[in-house]
Amino acid sequence: MDKDNKNQIKSYLTFKLGTEEFAAHVSKVLNILEMTPITKVPKAPEYLKGVINLRGAVLPVIDARIKFGMPEAEYTNNTCIIVLDIDVDGESVHVGAIVDSVQAVVEIDNSQIMPLPTLGSRYKSEFIIGMAKIDDRFVIILNMDAVFSTDDITQIVDADSLEDTVTENNE
Amino acid sequence: MDSFRKKFIEEATELIDKLEVALLDLEKNPEDETLVQQVFRIMHTLKGNSAMFGFELIDNFTHNLETIYDQIRNNELELSKPILDVTFACVDHLKSMLDEQNYNDPDFKTIHSGLVEKIDAIINPQKPEGKVESNSKPEAKGVTSTYYILFEPNADIFKNGTNPLYLLDELCSLGDYKVFAHFNRVPQIAEINPDECYTYWEVLLATDKDESVIHDVFIFVESDSTLEIQKLGEENLVADQTFIKEVENLAEVQKDVGLVAIQRLAKVAISNINKRKAEKFTKERIAVKDKTASSIRVSSDKLDTLMNLVSELVTTQARLSLFSEQNNIPGLNPIVENVQKLTRQLRDIAFSIVLIPIENLFGRFQRLVRDLSAELNKDVEFIVEGADTELDKTIIENLSDPLMHILRNSMDHGIEEARVRIANGKPAKGKIVLKAFYSGASVIIQVIDDGAGIDPEMIHAKAISKGLVLPDKKMSKKEILDLIFLPGFSTAKKVTDVSGRGVGMDVVRKKIYDIRGEVEVDSEKGIGTTITIKLPLTLSIIDGLLVSINKSPYVVPLSAIDKIYAVEKDKIYNTFNNLITLDGSQIPFFSLRKEFDLEPSNEELEQVIVVNFEDESVGLVVDYVIGEYQAVLKPLGKHYKNHDIFSGATILGDGTVALVMDTNKIIKMFAIGNKE
Repeated sequence: MDKDNKNQIKSYLTFKLGTEEFAAHVSKVLNILEMTPITKVPKAPEYLKGVINLRGAVLPVIDARIKFGMPEAEYTNNTCIIVLDIDVDGESVHVGAIVDSVQAVVEIDNSQIMPLPTLGSRYKSEFIIGMAKIDDRFVIILNMDAVFSTDDITQIVDADSLEDTVTENNE
Repeated sequence: MDSFRKKFIEEATELIDKLEVALLDLEKNPEDETLVQQVFRIMHTLKGNSAMFGFELIDNFTHNLETIYDQIRNNELELSKPILDVTFACVDHLKSMLDEQNYNDPDFKTIHSGLVEKIDAIINPQKPEGKVESNSKPEAKGVTSTYYILFEPNADIFKNGTNPLYLLDELCSLGDYKVFAHFNRVPQIAEINPDECYTYWEVLLATDKDESVIHDVFIFVESDSTLEIQKLGEENLVADQTFIKEVENLAEVQKDVGLVAIQRLAKVAISNINKRKAEKFTKERIAVKDKTASSIRVSSDKLDTLMNLVSELVTTQARLSLFSEQNNIPGLNPIVENVQKLTRQLRDIAFSIVLIPIENLFGRFQRLVRDLSAELNKDVEFIVEGADTELDKTIIENLSDPLMHILRNSMDHGIEEARVRIANGKPAKGKIVLKAFYSGASVIIQVIDDGAGIDPEMIHAKAISKGLVLPDKKMSKKEILDLIFLPGFSTAKKVTDVSGRGVGMDVVRKKIYDIRGEVEVDSEKGIGTTITIKLPLTLSIIDGLLVSINKSPYVVPLSAIDKIYAVEKDKIYNTFNNLITLDGSQIPFFSLRKEFDLEPSNEELEQVIVVNFEDESVGLVVDYVIGEYQAVLKPLGKHYKNHDIFSGATILGDGTVALVMDTNKIIKMFAIGNKE
């Protein structure tokens, strides 16, 4: 699929972290897995949960909650691993993201995407493509490449506004 | 069409590399005709290929270049250093010719026309000295023939003042010879007239001169002597040992050989020679055929796919074995064992396919050293050993830069100038040895020079002045030498064109680490430096020991392991200085549970795996040892790129992922962590 085609697809996968709902473009999503045991890698940063066996390949798994600066939560039956195809410096890298639950695949037209309000936003703008309104709910459309790139210190929430949501201190 | 061009460029690059190697060989053995042939053949193939794919410029250029070597192999031209230098320049130029984008570059054009002129000058020499050379041997016909000469001087030849021995000497100067002197006509001593000549000679002469030249030797005595000159055949029969032996036998028995007998023998000998020639020719042909049949070109993509599939197969086979162990199904076990055997064979072969000899890489360095020794005006003997050592192709590709840097360093800083060398009692010619050899599951590559060596005191002082180490810290010589691998450390006093361009040994070490290798330096001041690179045979499979820590499986590379001990838990957690006594010697140890931030185990016995770490033994404490395991190494992915205490992961038979430890890095990390 070339770039033009990708842009023409208006489908987004929505998923939840806590009460917040996010959307990722389907071209970035390869697969959705049920939660499986994760092999922990000692001495790795906290958001890197470990690795799993994805059909014979080793897939690193990131806890999206920690990466997004949210408190960790118990895994439930709804907890899923979204397998993502991330573009890191022009190279395609596969990574799994643990999310609380996967919601639906929705159609969002480009015209529906609104820019994030610059004032009062808790999220750093480089990680967000925009917002969209779906059935009275607001969904945050993420730039998955930026969020799940290999940079250790990525925090998509602005440090100043952390106190709003974060109950305990993560890193 | 594009894919054809790509293919051509791929092939041409390979041909040019081969040409370079052949030329370097030729430079060392200028007499070797087969090398001239080889050089010519490669150029010819290159010419043919480029014509076929429409690279006209290369076609024309190689055509002229080829003519030089055609003339050399036909003995019309003598191989000389200027010719070789031009050829080397041409080889470089050919490389840039492969990229058509270069064609409009003005520099490219000047180089091109310059080289074309030089080639022209070699092919069509108008200088007088060329003619003089060709005049010096006017009679040379190029073909050696053997002549039978019977010389019976007149009895009173001495009276003319002629000494027949002088004539024979002159005759023998024409080529290879065998002289039979016959004394059977010499009378009893009482009857001898000392003024008369009784002796006559039969000579076998192999020469490339004309028959008339032989006649010229006897020109003054011909009229009153018996002289018979007969051509035996267009071969050098004098060099034929069997023939000479037979003639000698004949001479012994008959006292006199005679033309008829010799001719008969010569006939047999010539037919033998022809037979041997034919055999040799067919043998060469067969050898050439064998070479072409023994290798085929396969795209590396296909090989990578094959390797992946085999890796999957190994993993699946492990699952099958596990399944068969858990479920005792009659008849399944023998099948599983068979599959296991076949998989192992298949794996070994598949992995050997991607191993290629390090030869090509080393060939490139010969050229580097040759050019550098000219540039730096240092005469260096470059010795390559173990070029047939095989390594994973990815490793070889990644080895080029670091090795080049090391060699440049040796040439630039290591080898001293000739006068310094002589003053220090060393031979004026420096020596650099590049060698590769197997050592267990690793390949060792060493660059050994007999240059100035590294002064540890200087290194230490410099490291202190740069703030890399604390001045009062006591360091062993090895630790000091290791400082050269630190970032920001460059020992070159002056920046030269060759090395010291800011790329230091730290980059070398990083690149070697990237391919799971290690690099060490050993140096004796005034005697020389040895850089040792230790590399895994292949990047994708390792023999390991499967262990478990807190129920998680880990693989420790078997190559690092020395011994395993079962030790009571109390002994481990009650020692405060992290030393444990095993077999009477104290060794430092790390509890991996503790270092991985896990709770201490409840088991009474724990396993201490003793591994080698920089010539020392270090213990690593784990919960259980499960057994030996062939691990197919998979990368942990970019997200773990800064996390190198694990060299990768492997998937076990039951589908779980086991991490593969890099013991060296684990120990290094913990040793530093504990000191802080």
